[in-house]
Amino acid sequence: MIELKNLTRKYGKKIAVNKLNMTMDKHRITMLIGPSGCGKTTTLKMINRLIESTEGDIIINGESIYNLDAVQLRRSIGYVIQEIGLFPHMNVFDNIAAVPRLLQWNEKKIKSRVEDLLDLVTLNTSYMYKYPLQLSGGESQRVGLARALAADPEILLMDEPFGAIDPINRAKLHESFMSIQEKIKKTIVFVTHDINEAIKLGDKIAILKNGDLIQHDNVNNILYEPENEFVEKLLGHDRNIKALVLKKNKDYIQRDGFLVVKRGEKPEKVLDLITAAGKKSALAVDSEGRFEGEFFTRISKHTKELRLEFNDEIVSLEKNGNLQETLSLMIETGESIMPVTSNKNNFEGIINLNDIFSELGSGEK
Amino acid sequence: MFFEYLINNQAEILRMIIQHLFLFSVSTMIAIISGIFISIISTLEGYEKFGRVLLTVSGMAQAVPSIAVVALVFLVVGIGMKPAIIALIIYSIVPIIFNTSSGLLSVNAKTIEAARGVGFTNNQILWKIKMPIASPVIIAGIRSAATINIGTATIASLIGGGGLGDLIFIGIKLQKHHITIIGAVLTALIAIIVDISLQAAGKKIIPRGLAIVTK
Ligand SMILES: Nc1ncnc2c1ncn2[C@@H]1O[C@H](COP(=O)(O)OP(=O)(O)OP(=O)(O)O)[C@@H](O)[C@H]1O
Ligand SMILES: [Mg+2]
Repeated sequence: MIELKNLTRKYGKKIAVNKLNMTMDKHRITMLIGPSGCGKTTTLKMINRLIESTEGDIIINGESIYNLDAVQLRRSIGYVIQEIGLFPHMNVFDNIAAVPRLLQWNEKKIKSRVEDLLDLVTLNTSYMYKYPLQLSGGESQRVGLARALAADPEILLMDEPFGAIDPINRAKLHESFMSIQEKIKKTIVFVTHDINEAIKLGDKIAILKNGDLIQHDNVNNILYEPENEFVEKLLGHDRNIKALVLKKNKDYIQRDGFLVVKRGEKPEKVLDLITAAGKKSALAVDSEGRFEGEFFTRISKHTKELRLEFNDEIVSLEKNGNLQETLSLMIETGESIMPVTSNKNNFEGIINLNDIFSELGSGEK
Repeated sequence: MFFEYLINNQAEILRMIIQHLFLFSVSTMIAIISGIFISIISTLEGYEKFGRVLLTVSGMAQAVPSIAVVALVFLVVGIGMKPAIIALIIYSIVPIIFNTSSGLLSVNAKTIEAARGVGFTNNQILWKIKMPIASPVIIAGIRSAATINIGTATIASLIGGGGLGDLIFIGIKLQKHHITIIGAVLTALIAIIVDISLQAAGKKIIPRGLAIVTK
């Protein structure tokens, strides 16, 4: 738990952060958001004393950070910044090992820790000996996260860590970030200027404006009980669409109303099943229940007979994905019904576009 | 003619070579150590402004001809080995300061912030982050200082520094070109050998990650 008490930072006459009072919950992600220059970075950097406060106090686990040595404090707090935060002259291994070495761990322990962390951020161990210049933006951010976690700090500070990553890779990083947090349960303070990112990743959101805290609440309350016009503007008009990012696919899966057959089934039998059910298609799984594709019927042009065909290029949805992604995928692929699979491609059911629409219409929940 | 002269004056020429190497190595060592020291001090956090001034001054100073430095030192300190070494230090410290301070100042501020943020002390930031990252530029500075130094050392003979410069100027005075050429060629050889060794040493010192060419 991090408590900010009357936290203030002035630069001459300019007040960058003004009497901030807030508590960042243990094991939760607090998102700091607001327009450029509102004091997000200043607030974050006061927590690891890269910037000293002008007034006020910061209490971590009951103790003021100003009673601790600044260097020791920083070694106990993970810190991730946008891009180029990696040390260019050190390979991935040495980057991740940096803090453990400052803490004088033995090399054996460091090596196994680095391996575990690479695994956690889903990078192959062959990355160990690559240099930052040889990594993509997304890979660099994974290494940056691993480095921040190296000494297993309780607190993680992140300043727009995914800001410079393209949208597709950012979505991937979001997914891994959330599943990592599920495992490690750190107290995270995360600065962003992207409201969608804040809604997607945050447990709570703190909104700043000109150094003042405007609203600090859990994501649902921010979405449906915005404090004032400023927050409403930040959220935009399509709040229900924004809220879709909070809704998980797994809660909207339908398990009946469609046909499932084995991929190896005889075509005549499949055809019979489809016509008997009065449908035009059937989803196919293998003997272990993994999703394979879709059988569909078509009337042949020449013989006018009903024929069975198979499509193995059906896009499926991730069970842990969110409805916002699902909606855009449906629009992109032109499908109103899509199959859902769990992590090992196990078939779970389907999601229907109509269910998403009724979710949008239902408003506040 | 060349060989005859070389063989007849073996001992004398060897003495000059050793003297030359002495002038060169003493002055270069002192220039490297004090140049790097001055650059580190003047680029410490909070003193970057001073570092930038030093950078500009040393950039301009590189344009001063060596003979002018030698002459000035002669006017102030006089004649002999010591003034020669002083002149060489002054002249070769300039590229070292220029490169070291520009190398240190150009380390990305975000990299330094990241290091401080994860708990590096100021000393660790200097030795484990800034110096290794600046090392290619620093070593380039040392190489050019060394090469310049070997050449300038010949001029130092004008104020009694000795070394291969003596051979060159004797040749000129006596109008015996082969003597001048022997002096010049030996100087050039030393310069080439020193530069190649420094280049090899640089390859060992510069961290591999910095030498990688981006895809
Ligand atoms: N070293 C400094 N000297 C003077 N003013 C500063 C300094 N650092 C920050 N400020 C001012 O303090 C305010 C808050 O800055 P801060 O970096 O915290 O903003 P931010 O919310 O992180 O913005 P951004 O989204 O652009 O990163 C800004 O108005 C900025 O100009
Ligand atoms: Mg910022």
